[in-house]
Amino acid sequence: MDKKQILIVDDDPDQRLTLRLPLESAGYTISEATSSAEGLAKVKEVKPDLIILDVMMDTATAGFQLALDLHSPDPESEYKDFRRTPIIMLTAIHSTTPLRFTPDEDYLPVQTFIEKPVTPEGLLAKVQEILGDK
Amino acid sequence: MSISSPPGNAIGPPKPSPVRPARTLVEAELVSSVAWLIHLRWIAGAGVLLATWLVGTVFNLGIPAGPLFTIGSGILIYNLIFYLAERRLTHASAPAEAYDRLAKWQVSLDWLAMTLLIHFSGGIESPAILFFIFHLIIASIFFPPRTAFAFAILAIGLISGIALMEFFGLLPHVTIVGYLETRLYLNGLYLTAMLIFFASTSLIAAYLASSIHERLRLREEEIVELSKSLQRATTRLQTLNNGARTVGSTLELSKVLNRLVKSTAEAMEVRACSIRLLDKSGQRLEPVAVFGLSQAYLEKGPVVAMSNPLAREVLAGKTINIPDAPNSPLIQYPEEARQEGISSMLSAPLIGKDQPLGILRAYAVEPDRFTPEDEAFLSAIAAQGSIAIENAMTYQTIEQLDEAKSQFIRMVTHELRSPVSVTQSLLRTLAAGYAGSVTEQQQDILNRTTRRVEFLQKLIDDLLDLAAGKTEVKALEAREPVDLAASLERVVKRFELSAQEKSLTLALYKETTGDSLVVMATMEGLDRVFDNLISNAVKYTRPGGLIKVTLRPMDGEANVMVEDTGIGIPEEAMLHLFEEFYRAPNAKAIEHEGTGLGLTIVKDIVTRFSGRIAVQSTPDVGTTFTVSFPLTRPEEI
Repeated sequence: MDKKQILIVDDDPDQRLTLRLPLESAGYTISEATSSAEGLAKVKEVKPDLIILDVMMDTATAGFQLALDLHSPDPESEYKDFRRTPIIMLTAIHSTTPLRFTPDEDYLPVQTFIEKPVTPEGLLAKVQEILGDK
Repeated sequence: MSISSPPGNAIGPPKPSPVRPARTLVEAELVSSVAWLIHLRWIAGAGVLLATWLVGTVFNLGIPAGPLFTIGSGILIYNLIFYLAERRLTHASAPAEAYDRLAKWQVSLDWLAMTLLIHFSGGIESPAILFFIFHLIIASIFFPPRTAFAFAILAIGLISGIALMEFFGLLPHVTIVGYLETRLYLNGLYLTAMLIFFASTSLIAAYLASSIHERLRLREEEIVELSKSLQRATTRLQTLNNGARTVGSTLELSKVLNRLVKSTAEAMEVRACSIRLLDKSGQRLEPVAVFGLSQAYLEKGPVVAMSNPLAREVLAGKTINIPDAPNSPLIQYPEEARQEGISSMLSAPLIGKDQPLGILRAYAVEPDRFTPEDEAFLSAIAAQGSIAIENAMTYQTIEQLDEAKSQFIRMVTHELRSPVSVTQSLLRTLAAGYAGSVTEQQQDILNRTTRRVEFLQKLIDDLLDLAAGKTEVKALEAREPVDLAASLERVVKRFELSAQEKSLTLALYKETTGDSLVVMATMEGLDRVFDNLISNAVKYTRPGGLIKVTLRPMDGEANVMVEDTGIGIPEEAMLHLFEEFYRAPNAKAIEHEGTGLGLTIVKDIVTRFSGRIAVQSTPDVGTTFTVSFPLTRPEEI
């Protein structure tokens, strides 16, 4: 069976590294993108089984925008093939900042959130749960 | 800076009221005199009847009782008609002219009755002749001097007519038997003397009464004028007072200024009023609030303090009155003023604590419109306005600073937290062996590094919490009804494991009567408060100890007590407990790491949710923190 493909979209190279190492050692194939635009292009190219997305990139909510684009309910959407691709979102939003998100906010088409700092064990557990590899 | 357009015409000039305009003093006097005269006439008519009866029966003099009774009754009858007429006029709130007509009728009929009375009581011999004098006085009160004199001459004519007709036998003379034995009415000398004296007395009486009355009338007019100027003064005082209240009621600069110009123009009853403030360069005067001026006039060109002679003088602290603006050398834009229809201007300085702020100016259509009184008034308004403007400016600066602070915190959130959290992730990845195996010593160093970075992370989070609470006033608006029990359950559950590891008993008691205790707060805020309090209790209670968390309603409040059997807080530390970065010495001894911000944050959040926090502690026995929040009733949700 082919290795499952995971796309990491994050503008921070160090953060990408901390995500990549445990996932690779768990047997996943990793591709990376450093911006929302690159992320969207890579989605079509590598057709990932899962996307790990940073919320804050070029703007404070760039990650959300990308997730909304990918999971758009529009039948004509150019990403309609990826509407069901699961997304894990990385947040560094502190509880007292004005932006408050919780995973149950249903307008966000995101499977789950991981709060930074990311622990390798926490990350692997979430990924394996979503991909049914547990 | 924005230029405000004159406010909408929501409040226009007062509409003419359907009620008749208030009477002038003179008119009011006429109206009341008519009633007064009717009142007196009842006595006069009754007096004639009574006198006739007395003279005829008691003094037994031979008077023509029939005609005299008729005259007396006649007076009472026509007075009844006047009485009814007057009541109708009052009821219909008739104009003053109707009362004037009524007064003329009254005087005319009175004079007819008077003349008849004199004829039937002995003509020139009648003592009733003297009564004419007070009739003349009444006429002088009612009518202007010229009419009063005409009535005096009429009286002289009437009396002379009766006397002469009786003298020449053209009218039968009525002799009162038993009163005068001599036939004086046929005595030419007596007749002449009597008529001359009557005539001169009448004229003098008319003159005196008229002039006294005229003088009174003038004084009344003065009083009216005086009361009008008092009214104006009151309006102005009200404007001043409103201005003072504006200072207190709003700190929004544009609102303060717009209210000021509008009320000033209205109080001074002038066409327009404006405020120009110096811009940041301290050179240009920009219009910031305007009432009653056209946009074209405002855009006439820049007003630069140094090159505008009027602005220079006013900014130096003088109030300047320009009676003829289009021709004044002080005015920078005389032609524009002429086109705008402005003839006179009054400018007062707006002076702050340290420097001039700008100019308050009133504009009038009439030339030479402003009096010294106006100058004093505008200066007073400007002095008060200066305070308002400075307060509002200070407030604006504070708001901007506040916004900048929030911005800074948001920046720090990302820029400071992000590298620290990535460092943590990197260290964990390394420690977990994903980048190759690590030796025991390397592992130890990685663990130590991880702990330090974790502490750094906590410190940053705490600082952010604190800063957020201090700066984000708007956080209050985000409050919502939150169930205290749910928050406590959540937090207690979080600490169950660490309590177990330390062999501590951690118990939650909910002493509620069934209703949930709901307070206005945020879920995150409450969790943070209890998180801090319970984590302190866990940290500073020795193994085997007890931590009791109790929730109970008390006097309209919800009380949460966190009791422990821990190390306690030394007395000298109690005072500093809620200070930033403070840590009690015995706490430091137990826990090396700690930011000293936890309780500061707790107090901050509790205060934000309108709550209170209290602490009781005995060293080596234990500590109790009590937090109270006002309860929210279900109907308020």
